[in-house]
Amino acid sequence: MDNRRRRRVWLGVAALLFVLAGVLMFAGQGDSLPKDDGPQVEFPRRMRGEERERAEKRRTWVVPMVADAGTVTQERPRPRDPLLAALPRGPGRTAVVIEANALRHSPIGELLLDCMMRDGGKQLDEIRKRSGVDPLQDLDRLVITDEGMMLSGNFGNAKFQEMMGNAVSADYGEGARVYEPGESTVTRPDGTTETRRRDTAVGVWNNQLFMVGKTPDEVKAAIDRVEGRGPDGPSVIPEGSTYGEMYGVLSVEQIAKLLPPEQAELAQRLRDVAQNVELHVDASSDVALVAEVRGPDADKVTDLGKSLGAALSLARMKAQAEGEKEIAQLLDFARVQPDGDTFKLEMAVPLEAIKERLAFCKQERQAAEATAK
Amino acid sequence: MNPVLGIAGYVLREAMSRKFILAFVVGITLVLSVVALSLRLDVVDGALAASRLFGEEIRSSIRSVDVALRPVYTAAAFIVFYGGILFGIVACSDFAPSLMSPGRIEHLLALPIQRWHLLAGTFLGVMTLALGGTLYGTTGLVLIFGVKAGYWTAGPLIAGLMACVGFAAVYAVMLTTATLVRSAALSAAAGILVLVGGVIAGFRTQISSAFEDGLSRTAFEAVTLALPRLSSLAQAAGDIAASTPLEVHSLGTLLAGVMVFGFGALAVGFWRFEGKDY
Amino acid sequence: MRGLRKTYHRAFRKTGNDALKGMDLSVPEGSAFGLIGPNGAGKTTFIKSILGIVQPTAGTVQVLGGSPEDPRIRARIGYLPERLHLPGSWTATAFLSTVTRLKGLKSDAQGNSRLLERVGLADAAGRKIGGYSKGMRQRLGLAAALVGTPSLLILDEPTDGIDPMGRLEVRRILLEEVQKGTTLFLNSHLLAETERVCDRVAILADGRVVREGRLEDLARGGARWMVRFAPGVDAAALGAAGFTRGSADGVYHVEAEDPAALNAAVDRARAAGALLVELRRDGADLESVLLGTMAPAGAVGVAA
Repeated sequence: MDNRRRRRVWLGVAALLFVLAGVLMFAGQGDSLPKDDGPQVEFPRRMRGEERERAEKRRTWVVPMVADAGTVTQERPRPRDPLLAALPRGPGRTAVVIEANALRHSPIGELLLDCMMRDGGKQLDEIRKRSGVDPLQDLDRLVITDEGMMLSGNFGNAKFQEMMGNAVSADYGEGARVYEPGESTVTRPDGTTETRRRDTAVGVWNNQLFMVGKTPDEVKAAIDRVEGRGPDGPSVIPEGSTYGEMYGVLSVEQIAKLLPPEQAELAQRLRDVAQNVELHVDASSDVALVAEVRGPDADKVTDLGKSLGAALSLARMKAQAEGEKEIAQLLDFARVQPDGDTFKLEMAVPLEAIKERLAFCKQERQAAEATAK
Repeated sequence: MNPVLGIAGYVLREAMSRKFILAFVVGITLVLSVVALSLRLDVVDGALAASRLFGEEIRSSIRSVDVALRPVYTAAAFIVFYGGILFGIVACSDFAPSLMSPGRIEHLLALPIQRWHLLAGTFLGVMTLALGGTLYGTTGLVLIFGVKAGYWTAGPLIAGLMACVGFAAVYAVMLTTATLVRSAALSAAAGILVLVGGVIAGFRTQISSAFEDGLSRTAFEAVTLALPRLSSLAQAAGDIAASTPLEVHSLGTLLAGVMVFGFGALAVGFWRFEGKDY
Repeated sequence: MRGLRKTYHRAFRKTGNDALKGMDLSVPEGSAFGLIGPNGAGKTTFIKSILGIVQPTAGTVQVLGGSPEDPRIRARIGYLPERLHLPGSWTATAFLSTVTRLKGLKSDAQGNSRLLERVGLADAAGRKIGGYSKGMRQRLGLAAALVGTPSLLILDEPTDGIDPMGRLEVRRILLEEVQKGTTLFLNSHLLAETERVCDRVAILADGRVVREGRLEDLARGGARWMVRFAPGVDAAALGAAGFTRGSADGVYHVEAEDPAALNAAVDRARAAGALLVELRRDGADLESVLLGTMAPAGAVGVAA
């Protein structure tokens, strides 16, 4: 082939190759903007802006002025959020706060609502009718402690008198009423009466707090704490830890009890090493959990962290081996962050996985609503 | 013997005698041995429980070792990809110009080989060099982390091979530039230009939205359509090294595209070289 | 080599300068051909076009019965470029074996070491080329050109930088090659060398072949003789006898068509009392031929 012809061939080949390269690269990369299909989990590690605002708004309790001019009483530091103030004080106590209102407006809240309304909302209506409280509107927080339960919110329309009937009750403190346990007769709306037995004492404070305890004394102690007459120790949940849709402090005993029997060894280690566990759950998208474990011996805490990390890693490998891609993907996020005498355990549960599990609620609700019509 | 292989051997022999290429190999070896000797990974049931560098504990979280090593592998892939291409541009920029230097090119052209054999052989020689260096470095990395952490993955190796494909496209342009102007500096400049263009081309969809709709956007899209999408390749290399899902539709097609671009650039070089007097 | 015929105009793109302005030249096979001419005459361009390194704008080149673009033809050519650049970090042995492979030949270590011995580099074979002197590099270049026993040797300034003893060696090798039947194409600025090695010469000037032919034919062209007499000659008497005064003292020139006329002229001078010291044909060396050729064209320069 003569030189000129050969050169023309090379040039033609070059043009052809460039066109082919353009087509291949276009097809290979695609021209759509890359989208993130991997799960994005945000772990509740610190207070976010809206949570700080929320905590700010809850500082409603104004300390009554002591009309004792002359004697200077030492102002005791105490939480100005009545609910936090009512929580038990001191180490080894348990209190878990569920932000009912925030949870209600989260994706997972929608799912839970479906479950609550599986009967088409009859039960919820019944509660509304009988108590005068709309759990979806008036309830702000729900707290479970080792002593009992507390609800906070707006209970101005609550029909406590109708619910409690002729139970023995007394006013207590500056705006509270305590109902003692025992039998009481309640008059129904249709005029008939019903005798109920209640094993728990109930307290209502300023139509904001509804407390349930084993004994009237426990309830009274909680009211004392709200009104500043209790012990001086800090609340089991400090205001700075009120982030996430669910948060709180669990005593190691409680957690050990929660563990299944086959994890008895881990439960014992937990008892030996840790004092308490601070928990934060974020449900604003996927459910992300951060548990901060604290113990007196840094080395033992670190060792426990390593064991937990290894357990999570094994679980992930198992999920991968069994082809459970989603779980494996979320366990990718699982990690233990050691930091001296504490470590943080982070885990995530995909919203999709929860949706799948709770899908039956929605179906049942829709079916119930259809029949009601 | 095939003249292309002969020229490739010529280039390789020439490269081996260069001190800074030897220094590079020594450098890789040193880095690998320092990592191998100073890094201690404490692995419990597949979880990276603690890592120590020079005896100092690195504050990091305890998690599955492959997840924990992901950032390391991703970073390694990016370093191998961009660092390797940059080093290649600098180290190999004067092979072709020196081969075309007066007194040498006449001698080569008088030998019984086709002119395009000369360019193809140079290209092959340089690519062999790049491949050798990449395999050496990435295999070392895989071995070190494999032995230390018990986690074996060919990810970094594959990422390195992809970097070689990216470099092939860049070097083809450099070689073609050398046939136009016999200058190592210009050749390197062309290489860097393609590298930058390749990074932009990978993000063309994202960047094009910054252009006003009309001629400027169309022009940008047309130009970047033909450029090798190096940043996409780098991203994919990082993803593969870290065993995370790929963002590109088809890696094979993308790789083939970048490779074909290289051959296209090389064909332009052949065209120019065949008609050039020395 | 059956013949080299070439007629082309080559224009440099930018300047439009014609390096070769239509050249016709044929070199018989087996001859030792010398190319001489002043700087810028186009000798190197001409050589490169024989090898296909430079592509002619017009005209055709035929070497060894084919086109220089054909690698099979180039395989039979050994070439030593003017300013050969050798890879400094290689050894001579490695360089030769690479050249052998690139020439498409089987690697022949023994043959290569014989070649190195032949060019006088046997002792330096294992040393790096970077440490070679200019002359040693030229020798190595010559060895590389000789790899594969080519039918045509094209040498551009082969003795450049080589010491006088080395030149002798190179000349011996070239003569050996010519005797073996290899066609030699030599471009050297050392005219004496061309004269001693080549039997045919072409004079290039301004991109054209000005004269070409057998060396004896070119040199024999004049009927002028140089005569030197012992000091104390009668200049007027010699002038009357047909002698013209030369440049040096006692040197005279005389025109004589044949030996009889020459002897008659010498007799006349001796009769006038002049004592003959030296007699030789005027213009018999290549330099004279070149100068004689270039002078009419007004382009006398340093031959290179």
